[in-house]
Amino acid sequence: MFKFFSSTNIYLLIQKLIRFINSIFFLILLIGLTFALVLSPPDYLQGDAVRIMYVHVPSAWIGLACFSTITFLSIFNFIFKIKNFYFINKSIAPIGLLFTCLAIVTGSLWGQPTWGTWWAWDARLTSMVVLMLFYVFYILTFKLLKKEESIIKVSSIIAIIGSINLPIIKYSVEWWTTLHQPASIKITGSNSIHPEMMLPLMVMLLVFLLYAALIFLMKYKTEIIRIKKKNIKRN
Amino acid sequence: MISNFITMNGYGFYVWLSFSVVFISCVVVYFKTKKTLKKYEKEFLVELQTLTLEEKNKALKNSKVAQQILAISPKVN
Repeated sequence: MFKFFSSTNIYLLIQKLIRFINSIFFLILLIGLTFALVLSPPDYLQGDAVRIMYVHVPSAWIGLACFSTITFLSIFNFIFKIKNFYFINKSIAPIGLLFTCLAIVTGSLWGQPTWGTWWAWDARLTSMVVLMLFYVFYILTFKLLKKEESIIKVSSIIAIIGSINLPIIKYSVEWWTTLHQPASIKITGSNSIHPEMMLPLMVMLLVFLLYAALIFLMKYKTEIIRIKKKNIKRN
Repeated sequence: MISNFITMNGYGFYVWLSFSVVFISCVVVYFKTKKTLKKYEKEFLVELQTLTLEEKNKALKNSKVAQQILAISPKVN
């Protein structure tokens, strides 16, 4: 069982997965864009500006999901000292930063036609900026610190402290009066989004997830090669 | 109809700019990641070249990763 998780087996699996994602990605992207830009109906209030949702919402979800994953793996790494989690976190963090930045930028572009302003220091927007800053600090530990042990310690602390911000982001629209609308999609309870908009959103989420997986696999593969290069003479 | 698609009924600037920002950022990150991966693969092969024939054979025998990298880079023997 544990032999399956050796870096060699993971490396071989990564190559297969990259090939698989490459083979289906453009087809799903094309379907997603057709739904998002052509087939999806305009909103009765926001008109065609609502189409920004198809890039804004998946970006925000992935930004949050990446930081949640980093936090869980950091805690596990802190307790069980599994080095692989350190490399996984190192590969995930830039993806999370990218999507958090995209969520902020596209949110700003959506805010201007709907709220009449590019930016407001309200709870949801500010907490997303805080998340972005935590990503920046987290990535900086890999760049600035030299010792691997120090990197694991400092980055884990940043991830655990940063995780306090995750429920703040989620419930900011309920706890405070904000410009941002409350959640339209709920895991428990009914959704306030029409199925004709829900389907494009889910397809675009799949596109973003496949892209994130592709970048993660390439980054993780780079990490494996870096380790193998270091150990090449010991083999 | 095409005109409506381009102008998005007055929201074209915001919609197209949002999609463009996402598309360009993702393309840039993809190629940057790919370039770094290729750089490390190349460095790995250069490192492999510095080994003696015996060490190289041993490394190739013991490391499937080394075999795979060598297999996708036929220029370096």
